[in-house]
Amino acid sequence: MGDKKLSAAEVRHLYDQHGPALVAYARSFVTDAAAAEDVVHQVFLRLLSPEVEMPDVPVAYVYRAVRNAALNTRRNGQRDTPLDPQLGVFKHRGGNIEAALTLEKALEELPEEQREVVVMRIWSGLTLEEAAAATGAPLNTVASRYRYALDKLREKLRPYRKE
Amino acid sequence: MENLDERFEKYLGEFQPRRPRALPEPAIHRQVWPRCLAAAAAITIALGAWLWSVRQKPAGQEARNVTSNRPVVSEQQRPRRPLSIVVLTHLAVENPAGLDAALVAAQKNRLPRFDRKDSALRILGKE
Repeated sequence: MGDKKLSAAEVRHLYDQHGPALVAYARSFVTDAAAAEDVVHQVFLRLLSPEVEMPDVPVAYVYRAVRNAALNTRRNGQRDTPLDPQLGVFKHRGGNIEAALTLEKALEELPEEQREVVVMRIWSGLTLEEAAAATGAPLNTVASRYRYALDKLREKLRPYRKE
Repeated sequence: MENLDERFEKYLGEFQPRRPRALPEPAIHRQVWPRCLAAAAAITIALGAWLWSVRQKPAGQEARNVTSNRPVVSEQQRPRRPLSIVVLTHLAVENPAGLDAALVAAQKNRLPRFDRKDSALRILGKE
């Protein structure tokens, strides 16, 4: 497992591809969407510096890095109240703000391992195999976590869905 | 069940997380700037040191040459330049006493000529 340096273009590509999902992921650790965005930004700025070496699976690395940075932010006394409570992480295509905020809250309430898998799968576009590789957990475990997460989210979002 | 999950996945896809602000371009330039600045400073220092050494060299080298390279030669050992007609004439006009002194000094370092027919040594030798 050799570490390598990513070029600036590769880092930017990673940011474009996974940045939004990482903001959603970071949001569950910090107070608001703006703080989550700051965390993701901070991680990618560090990746642009030449001394950072990336492991073989960059996605796994950035998820871990965002998680650690978000936990540091929380530990170092981030603000307790959100700057703008209406400023959510998600935007619903149909403009349902309430559903978007409910989803955000439901994700926050999921256990971390389940939240991680569902964010990777739905918003980072990883397959369950890739998510297993990124998290280092067995595929069956990841698949179970995903199934549980979907069940909980489905329950929470039921009022907003047209079946 | 699988179909249900797929439909729900599709529904979740209707929610898009906000796109974080673009990474700033200057983040890269900021890393390059200090290097350029350091390189410019190094070049300036090297150039300054070189100029300083070049300016110092002539005086120092001359002093070294005087003290080490040239052997110490006494005033009497140093070869004298022959007195030319022009110099002698000039001395005769301007400073007769100086002419006498120059001739006396020249005598000590020059043998009289004897290869000419009318040279004093040749005449004395015949006598």
